[in-house]
Amino acid sequence: MKIRNSAIGILSVGAVLIGACKKILQENPHTVFTAAYFTTPDGLQNGVNTLYSGMRFYYGNMDGTIAFNSGTDESTLGDQGYNSATESNFGDYTINSSNGHNNGFWSNSWPNINLANAIVQLAPTAAMDTATKVSIIAQARFLRGLYYFNLVQQFGAVPLDLGMGELVFNQAAYQGFNRLPTDQLFVKDYKVIIADLSYAAQNLPDQRPAQAFKLSKATALHMLAKAYLFRGYSAAKAGTDYDSAYTVAMNLISNQSRYGTSLLPNYGDIFKEGNEYNAEILYSVERIPGDQNDNEVLNPTSFDPKTNIEGNMFTANYQNNYDIPRGSGHFPCDRVIQYMRPLRQLTPTPYVYNIAFIDKYFDSRYDNTFRTVWLATNNNCASAGIHTGDTCYVLAPSNAYADSVKALGTKNYAIVKPDSFYTAKSSKVQLYPSLRKYDDNKRTGVSDASGRPTPVCRLGETYLLAAEAAIQAGHPADALPLITTLRTRAAYRTGISDLGARQAGIMSRNTGTAQAPVWTAITVSDMNLNFIMEERTRELYGENVRWPDLACRGLLVSRVQTYNALGGPGIKATNALRPIPQTQLDAITDADKAKYQNAGY
Amino acid sequence: MTSSRHFLRLALLCQLFFFYAFAVSAQGTQRLTVRGVIKNDSGQAVTQASVVVKGQTGGVSSNDQGQFEIGANPNAVLVISSVGYQTREMAVNGRTSLNVVLVKSNASLDQVVVVGYGTQRKRDVTGSIVSVSAKTLNEVPAANMGLALQGRAAGVEIQRVGTQPGSNTVIRVRGERSILGSNDPLIVLDGIPFEGGGLNDINPGDIASIEVLKDASATAIYGSRGANGVILISTKKGRSGPARVDYNGYAGVNHITKEYPMFNPREYTAMRIAANTGYLNDAFETSNMAKGVNTDWQKLMYQNGFQSDNNLTVSGGSQDGSSYSLGGGYYKESAVLPGEDFTRYSLRATIDTKVGKHVKVGLNTLNSYNETNGSQFLNTGAMFNMLAASPLYTPDSGGITVLSPYGNTDDKNSTYSPIFLKHNNNSWVDLVKRMRTFNTLYAEVQIIPELKYRVNLGLNYRREEDDQFKGADTKLTPSFFRPSQGNTASVNNKEGYGYTVENLLVFDKEFKGGHKLNVTGLYSVQKDISHNTAVSKDSINADFIQFYNLGLSNPSNNVKPVVSGSDSTWGLISYMGRINYSYKDRYLLTATGRIDGSSRLAQGHNYHHYSAVSGGWHISQEKFMESVSFINDLKLRVGYGETSNQSVAPYSSLGNVTPYNNLTQPGNIGSTIHYNYGANNIVTGYNLLSLPNTSLDWEYTRTTDIGLDVTVFSNRVNFTADYYSAHTRNVLFGLKLPISSGVIGNYVSNIGEMSNNGFEFSVSSLNVSTADGFTWSTDVNVFWNRNKLTKLYNGFTQDIGNQLFVGQPLSAIYDYKKTGIWQSGDSAAAAGYGAKPGWIKLADLNKDGKIDPNNDRTVLGSSQADWQGGMTNRFSYKGFDLSFVLYARMGGLLVSQVYQPYADYLSILNGRRNSVKVDYWTPTNPTNKFPSPAGMLGSSIGLTTLGYYDASFIKMRSINLGYSFDAKVLSSVKAQQIRVYVTAQNPFVLYAPYMREGGVDPEATAVGNTGVQDPGNLSRRALTIGLATPPTRAFLFGLNVRF
Repeated sequence: MKIRNSAIGILSVGAVLIGACKKILQENPHTVFTAAYFTTPDGLQNGVNTLYSGMRFYYGNMDGTIAFNSGTDESTLGDQGYNSATESNFGDYTINSSNGHNNGFWSNSWPNINLANAIVQLAPTAAMDTATKVSIIAQARFLRGLYYFNLVQQFGAVPLDLGMGELVFNQAAYQGFNRLPTDQLFVKDYKVIIADLSYAAQNLPDQRPAQAFKLSKATALHMLAKAYLFRGYSAAKAGTDYDSAYTVAMNLISNQSRYGTSLLPNYGDIFKEGNEYNAEILYSVERIPGDQNDNEVLNPTSFDPKTNIEGNMFTANYQNNYDIPRGSGHFPCDRVIQYMRPLRQLTPTPYVYNIAFIDKYFDSRYDNTFRTVWLATNNNCASAGIHTGDTCYVLAPSNAYADSVKALGTKNYAIVKPDSFYTAKSSKVQLYPSLRKYDDNKRTGVSDASGRPTPVCRLGETYLLAAEAAIQAGHPADALPLITTLRTRAAYRTGISDLGARQAGIMSRNTGTAQAPVWTAITVSDMNLNFIMEERTRELYGENVRWPDLACRGLLVSRVQTYNALGGPGIKATNALRPIPQTQLDAITDADKAKYQNAGY
Repeated sequence: MTSSRHFLRLALLCQLFFFYAFAVSAQGTQRLTVRGVIKNDSGQAVTQASVVVKGQTGGVSSNDQGQFEIGANPNAVLVISSVGYQTREMAVNGRTSLNVVLVKSNASLDQVVVVGYGTQRKRDVTGSIVSVSAKTLNEVPAANMGLALQGRAAGVEIQRVGTQPGSNTVIRVRGERSILGSNDPLIVLDGIPFEGGGLNDINPGDIASIEVLKDASATAIYGSRGANGVILISTKKGRSGPARVDYNGYAGVNHITKEYPMFNPREYTAMRIAANTGYLNDAFETSNMAKGVNTDWQKLMYQNGFQSDNNLTVSGGSQDGSSYSLGGGYYKESAVLPGEDFTRYSLRATIDTKVGKHVKVGLNTLNSYNETNGSQFLNTGAMFNMLAASPLYTPDSGGITVLSPYGNTDDKNSTYSPIFLKHNNNSWVDLVKRMRTFNTLYAEVQIIPELKYRVNLGLNYRREEDDQFKGADTKLTPSFFRPSQGNTASVNNKEGYGYTVENLLVFDKEFKGGHKLNVTGLYSVQKDISHNTAVSKDSINADFIQFYNLGLSNPSNNVKPVVSGSDSTWGLISYMGRINYSYKDRYLLTATGRIDGSSRLAQGHNYHHYSAVSGGWHISQEKFMESVSFINDLKLRVGYGETSNQSVAPYSSLGNVTPYNNLTQPGNIGSTIHYNYGANNIVTGYNLLSLPNTSLDWEYTRTTDIGLDVTVFSNRVNFTADYYSAHTRNVLFGLKLPISSGVIGNYVSNIGEMSNNGFEFSVSSLNVSTADGFTWSTDVNVFWNRNKLTKLYNGFTQDIGNQLFVGQPLSAIYDYKKTGIWQSGDSAAAAGYGAKPGWIKLADLNKDGKIDPNNDRTVLGSSQADWQGGMTNRFSYKGFDLSFVLYARMGGLLVSQVYQPYADYLSILNGRRNSVKVDYWTPTNPTNKFPSPAGMLGSSIGLTTLGYYDASFIKMRSINLGYSFDAKVLSSVKAQQIRVYVTAQNPFVLYAPYMREGGVDPEATAVGNTGVQDPGNLSRRALTIGLATPPTRAFLFGLNVRF
């Protein structure tokens, strides 16, 4: 009896426990979102946030800074860049398909392009008001256009069909690579870029908020003008491209108050720390000073893919290369926040200080672009008469200037002649004019990354685009007033009393040699591509445009051979496109990978 | 290299033959000499014999005099069994006293082994099962059973995955079948699946035996969980008799076996000059060079570690079949680097009791708490900084620790001396605390003598807290982990729990004419739930707060708390039936069927059924074998069955949209997609991480196994040999898609087929047994597995991005082929390839005059061993016993990331830091090993080829020497047994080509990439050596006492 009871008891316990049943085969995750999230208003907005954030992979970070600036007529390798294969590959044109920076630039673009496809495709069905919907689609299309534009500039033709059709949100496990035939695809790429940017130029708000870099018509017009211009130079050109570029750029230049933008009177204020949200800058990729977490920086001293270290990359070795007196082993500068971390990746070529900026007096842009004077931060060189706060290094504007100062014999500081500035071919002195546009004194650590927004485009460049379009469209007379506006602005310096004379002086150019300049007034006849390229150096040095500027205009090989002693010997015509990264080719299942690769790699 | 490998193989084979030859010639006798009521046919008492009333469960054991006492009906039948004897049934017939004589059986064939959901006599087993006893395990003292099992069971490959105390092991049974899914075998502890990882939670001292089920006919009863083999762990049970107290413990010290070979000051300086990167000795280094400074940072940092294990058990039981066993354990191991240790406290209890005559209930509870220090960030950080330090800096100067003994400005600014690690005034915490309680309750009803119902209820709860704290850097207290930075802390709480309910019906009957039938039916439900919450925070107000209250911190922009979490729940429903049939103990048949439903797979693909059948034939019992007298038993086993793997992560079929940016571990600083529109409007972004797969299906493995068990020479030698062939379809894989697909995450899908074929051979032999008590016995096992991907999706033959190559093992390494270094005379040829003398010379496989990744990379090899094996030799004489355990793993390609310049930065030779000593090229040293420092920096391809080595090695795992005190001593202290022993753990390496090349240890420290930069060509299954604490050698003193 008792046994039977307990037996029945156990059996029924077992039976009750069996009751759990089929329900446990259902998955009810709490932390997993599916793609349906992008059909909700929150999901769409959070998707757009990702597209903005993805631009951190290009602007301010190492991959983008190298791809945009290294191996040009303007920049060659700093000693640290020279000493690292992945970085030197860009500077001396030994780049191959395994390069990590090249891969980073490529790889980080695609998930964002696919997300932009998702937003553009799914937003129309979302339950939200039309205005917000249009705004979201316009932002997504601008950013998709910019992702594609950057890729096309670096790699040529890139896929529009990620697996489920052109510009369709890809949710298929696609292992192909729709890149062929490249010539036809390249034409389509530009069509998509121009269509996206045009849509954005029509549907974004006129102006950005005063204190934030949300996308606006102003930004879209600028980028659209550039896209037309670049297409005009390319194999995909349409006959009207230069005219379109001119019209679109002039729309922005002529309606500055409508679009909420204007040139700053002082060139030096454009990149001034604390003045990041000024009216000239149309769009910057934003970060927050000191906010590691929100800047997606894992470790503030590292070179992680979204970290802003651009300022550090252009900084010379002010710290432990040039001792005073020479041979003493005493260095007057410690690594300090004020002078940035000397990562020494990119160095201006002699072309910058000898040719483009031969005028360093009237043109304030040289001094506003480069740091050429360092003050001692310690008393290490007290025996040489240099105490904390005293001038310790001066990079002379010219050899003659350096000789004259030396002849005085009264200066304790080291004065370095331009012909002994560091370049990768003269490596003893690691001092060179160091870009100061990205100075960041709000960093908490000396070696930390920056939290400043990184400008993508500004009105100053729109003037140059318009001027260039006018030249290429055959009406160079329209270019001169635009150039005049920019140059007369560049004559301004704080505290000067002779602005008028300087504005007159800056409107001449050197028709002699670097050693014996001859100054001639600038006229319409000077409005040619070569002038524009030099003016772009003066206006835009270090602003992440130079490599595509050369590559897309077909000037890369000639200008690098002329001005870049390290890059010149190795460069080939095929270097105007980067190699498709090997990780991409390895991941596709087609065994004939070579046919997808750009020529020459 | 190859010839020495062959030599070693030959040597091992020779030894095997020697054993058998010896065994044939030796004439031995039984060596048991105790007295008792159960006696053997030689008149000797049989201890620990099991006495059970037929038709009931539980029972008693005979004591040391062979005596037993059991309650039984006058008409009951007693079943008396003991290892090594034929089981005997005796009717009680009203008698109160019995003299039982047990007849010796065929060796251990009557030994009862644990099979899934029950037990079987070894004689009746038709699947491939290997048993390892507690005694064998104890021969290799270790923190977890994985380390003790290495090389002890044929077909079971064990790799450690770290050298720190508390690091885990990777266990593979007969190779790997899954690429994406887990290849971990199912661990079943006292009948209930042990979920949530953490073999460290199990005290090896609690283990009574381990059975590894290898082939499908044995594992099919675990259906969807059985594809990777099943490891059944049985913990120690009570037995009838008065309370008995056991203490087992050991303690000892361990120390480093080999330092990393580093450049001395002269070599360091030469390397810097050769690199030509401008990083030269600074003024301080130059003056120290003149003074002859040569600092060995490793010597300064390594200390002696300590290792101790203590287990106390009380067990006993009453005559009616109730028994208990209670135990407690304490294990502690500290390492050679400061701040690394592992401590485990464990408690367990097993109670089995009878309720009336037909019902038996029992509870088994295992509880453990362990703490691991130094496993999260300490090890790699400390090792790199220590090795990179300049040998030209002194650790202190004028009695003050040198802050940054690095000859490179960047390091000087950002890296502090490892010496600071030796004085942790609570300035960092790297602690993992785990708690686990694992409980099994069962009830069993004997419904009729032939039919039994049993319910098992498993309840499992585990909790882990990972605490990290790195103190702020100040002038007075330099912070090794946070130079020039404030403090930071994080806490990650993980919780998991689950239940298992199993309902079992067992029918067992012997029919007339020698037919035996056993039928088992099962219905079970299992669910497991886990969840974690992680928080990290900077700028904590004071260092002494550590991680305890992250709220006491400054709320500025820079120091926002980072919070993350995850959840994971899965369920499994199973139905199983098994029939064991035997005829006259000669012909055996097992048939199994199971149906599993799993939540992890896509809806509509949840269910699958599995079946297996196997047969056994005791050939030796056939008439025609009677004349072959030296064969005691010969059994042929053949089995075939299907199992599967559902070990994809829960929610794998759903796809995933997340705010995770793929830059670091989820939950760390900077891991979430963020953006800001202006300085104050901070937002979060979401992106598609992985795609859904609505057709995600099981991965099926069909295995055929043919085995032979042979006992020869008066039961003195046992052979077991198995050949198996496993074929896996629908291989689960997380495909890395071309990034141009726009999808970052892997696509979980069924991608192809693969095969695993292998051979296992093991032998146990009693080589010598003399009349005066000297014995020598040997266990040897040798096995190999050949893994091969046989088919890829859509007919593709290779998928380089995913490191998949048809016809190759999963761990294949695909890379350029290094043929040497370009020599000075080759400069013209080198220039043709864009290289210079001193650069790595790569094979131009397609001979097109250039090295390009699409044509000049090939499969260089794989991590697969040619063969592996272990050998244990045991000697005893009088009270002394001596044993030694050897482990060998021969063949295969080892990836040492230490020698991949950009993986660990230890061999980069760029002059910034000290480097591991390599033979690099200079015009006057025309080596073919390492490129010139400048050449390495000039070329960015082929550098990974510097890290490939022969993975072979033979290691002595342990040497044990023990002494058991004799009866006289024992009675004087009223003890039943006292044994003292000394053990040398990992005393030496016998053979390792990698060590000849400078490596510190040939055993892999990890699987897949561990380096700073992922070389990109590393299979997730490749065995790799990363920068880790060097291995240690330990000398232990131990004591076993029983009262």
